[in-house]
Amino acid sequence: MDIIVCAKNVPDVAEADLNISDKGTDIDKEDLVFGINDWDNYAIEEAVLLKEKYGGTVTAITVGNEDDEEVLRRCLAMGADRAIRIEADDISRFDSFVISKILSRVVKDLQFDLIFTGVLAEDDYYGMVGMMMAEELNINHANMITALEIEDGKARTTSELEGGLGEVSLIELPALLTIQTGINEPRYVSILGIRKAAKKELKTIELPDLGISDEELSPRTIIEEAFLPPETEGAEILAGDPDKISSDLIEILKKKGVME
Amino acid sequence: MEIARIHFWEINTVWLFYVLAGLTVVIFLIGLFFHASIWLAGLKRDKFNFSTAGVINLLKDGLLGKRIFKGDLTAGLMHIFIMWGFIGLFVGTVLSTTDYWLIHFLSGDIYLIFSFCLEILGLMLIVGLFMALIRRYIAKVSRLNNTSQDLWILILLLASVLTGFLVEGIRLAVQRPEWGGYSFAGLIFSSLLSSKDQATTLYPFMWWLHALISLGLVAYFPFSKLFHSLAAPFNIYLAPQPAPVISTEDRLSEELEFPFRDMIDFSACTNCGRCNEVCPSTSAMEPFSPREFIAQANEYTKLKFNPLNRIKWFRERLIKAISEEPKISPEQIWYCTTCRACLEVCPVYIGAFEPIRRVRIAEIEEGSRVPSLLIQSLETLYKYNNPWESSKKKRGEWPGVLDVPDLTKGAQANLCYFVGCTTSIDTRAQDLARAFVKIMTHAGINFGTLGQKETCCGDIARRVGEDGLFEEQMEKTLDLFAKHGIIEVVTSSPHCFNAFGNDYPGYQDLKTPEERLTFRVRHYTQLLEELMDRGLIKPVKSLDLKVTYHDPCYLGRYNHIYEGPRRIIRSIPGLELVEMAHFGPDSLCCGGGGGRMWEELEDEQKLSEVRIREAADTGASVMVTACPYCLIMLEDALKTADLEDRLRVMDLNELLTEALGLGDDEE
Ligand code: SF4
Ligand code: SF4
Repeated sequence: MDIIVCAKNVPDVAEADLNISDKGTDIDKEDLVFGINDWDNYAIEEAVLLKEKYGGTVTAITVGNEDDEEVLRRCLAMGADRAIRIEADDISRFDSFVISKILSRVVKDLQFDLIFTGVLAEDDYYGMVGMMMAEELNINHANMITALEIEDGKARTTSELEGGLGEVSLIELPALLTIQTGINEPRYVSILGIRKAAKKELKTIELPDLGISDEELSPRTIIEEAFLPPETEGAEILAGDPDKISSDLIEILKKKGVME
Repeated sequence: MEIARIHFWEINTVWLFYVLAGLTVVIFLIGLFFHASIWLAGLKRDKFNFSTAGVINLLKDGLLGKRIFKGDLTAGLMHIFIMWGFIGLFVGTVLSTTDYWLIHFLSGDIYLIFSFCLEILGLMLIVGLFMALIRRYIAKVSRLNNTSQDLWILILLLASVLTGFLVEGIRLAVQRPEWGGYSFAGLIFSSLLSSKDQATTLYPFMWWLHALISLGLVAYFPFSKLFHSLAAPFNIYLAPQPAPVISTEDRLSEELEFPFRDMIDFSACTNCGRCNEVCPSTSAMEPFSPREFIAQANEYTKLKFNPLNRIKWFRERLIKAISEEPKISPEQIWYCTTCRACLEVCPVYIGAFEPIRRVRIAEIEEGSRVPSLLIQSLETLYKYNNPWESSKKKRGEWPGVLDVPDLTKGAQANLCYFVGCTTSIDTRAQDLARAFVKIMTHAGINFGTLGQKETCCGDIARRVGEDGLFEEQMEKTLDLFAKHGIIEVVTSSPHCFNAFGNDYPGYQDLKTPEERLTFRVRHYTQLLEELMDRGLIKPVKSLDLKVTYHDPCYLGRYNHIYEGPRRIIRSIPGLELVEMAHFGPDSLCCGGGGGRMWEELEDEQKLSEVRIREAADTGASVMVTACPYCLIMLEDALKTADLEDRLRVMDLNELLTEALGLGDDEE
């Protein structure tokens, strides 16, 4: 079973104070901390689990600059056999369409039974790359996979639907699956593990070498402006230490009749 | 008739005895070889340097068994009787063999004294053995778990001395020497026999029985729990020397490896169960026990490093045995809070937390069985340089309105206050930092912090076995110290204090002298004590309070700081200090150490609730502590145990600011 996993290096935005960048079309990422996209972490874990069970190889791929290699090293430490980075110093100029074109171009020349991507990326939340790749490669695909079993060379997948429903399908390989969080429990990657993985193969491909036309490299989605949610009426931000904030909150709730 | 030792009286087949004795020695030596080769399979870094402290330990805890007396007088006496009875009789046998083969000296008065001593030793042994039997099977001391071996060994030992006395008694019954009174115990046995003839027929039978039991014991010795007596001296001797550091780079494989010293620990464990009694996790009925862990590790190493595994057939059996049923179950190891209580009571100085850390190292490398919350915390630590997922900016926000000089922004001071991750970020623990800053400012101390640039000392990573991450954090911290010329540090947390004071130096030793960075580190309680002694702080305000002090593990047991914090508390007028059921070296862990603050385990119990109840039982209205983890854990427990109306949890700094009149209301 040969599996390809597409992974992305994303900024951690959950706890950060976000600001709009000077260009006004993105957030300022200067002070943000980067790491593997959470969904991709599950995807690589799933691939390694399958490899441990059925043998084969796992290849991790990313589009990005040298800093983004950290994601690949992590994948290698988790158990991937080799990794490929397609050199691109600023991926924010690409949209999902371009990224899927690039990835598909690279994947086409590789041997694979399965391709995994995360359902979404934590930074832009588009969730399109996987599906677009499947279309581009013209292979079967299923989304939001929460369980996966291999049966006689076919994949039995469970997709998450609305309202807690699940959909089970039997899919012929090769196929592309977008992996949902919770499908497994990703293992811990130690510093020693990452250091040891430095010995594994990590190949860099220059974008021009892929022979993708400029037309295909031009994004279909243009971000015109990024802005913080405006303060509208009825929204009030409580300030102060936690004691003060909580007593203020209680006051408000009482006033509005939510609390006695 | 000469007054002398009689050898092989009435025994004709002496050659047979020698054959059997020879065989026994061979089996004994094979046993030693097995242990030695298992020990030598351990990671070797320990040097057996001569150490006076080690020798003193050997005398005190080896020959006198001092630690066995601790909290259990009968156990101490029992052990002294058995140990000295056993050693004495063994020496007696050696002397008598010397007398027979080399120089004949057991005659006349010497013989009589010799004979008398052996009687006493034999009786001591018998008394000790009966005490053991009573403790195990009648009084049923709860910490002892009885295995079949425990019974067998007692019975064999007892049989060996009793038959020894019988043999002597029979001989005395026949010979009736005038000096028989020196063998007074044997004489008692001789009076049991009615006729000389009966005695003569019985003698060879008894003699052989005694010989076989005794030889059997010697052959069984290295394979039984008795072997602890040969292993324990090594770790009792090594105990005062810090265990040498094995850096991540030096590690040979990802597999579970134990250092040499741990291997000796496993053989030395006497299964006494004292560790279980004091372990906060075991006491709270969590699915973990240090004694079981040590036993499992012993099993594991015996299987894995058995010299027989050089033979293919054995090796295959081993692989099957280990893969079918993991000898050391990996879930249990995360329960240990590394509180060091087990080491404090173990008669042979085993601290289960050390080998547990080795298993954690292997589990971290394996990765898939690490508790998920811990994975999150470690990943956060890696990304953010603190386990709290807090940005640099937030790390610098704790001073609020206070003016705190920043050494990274040009402030000049000799003393660097290392606030630490938890104290900088957790809202409750921040109070500790602010109170400490107020006291230092009040005392006119020139100090500064590292502001937003402050790193994590790495303690959490080290305790959970992620040494690579620890080393990375350590290097970042040392670089920062070097960059700002820091040579004097004071910490909020006993954990940072311990990492700087006890973990860093081992790594420094691995470096070349030019690369080393030396700095002095103190915990805030030490600095406060100094300020008090220099008269720079004088608690003037009388506080009419009854308080109790909780010893943080990493301040107390790890660094022996018990009295200082108490002196500070006692210096506050009007205040009464009372002790909890467990205090000082016996203090009970709050449950926050060893990474447990960042885990969520199955069947997890609130160790902190056990502790807070102890505090409430003293009738005190304030529980004082000196560690941010303790502060958070205990304050949480206060709420969950519903004791908020009876008790308050305070950091020592907070209490002191009140006594100095620096509290919030006075501002
Ligand atoms: S260090 Fe503490 S928690 Fe760990 S085994 Fe020993 S007594 Fe138990
Ligand atoms: S580790 Fe020490 S305290 Fe625990 S059972 Fe063994 S000898 Fe006793």
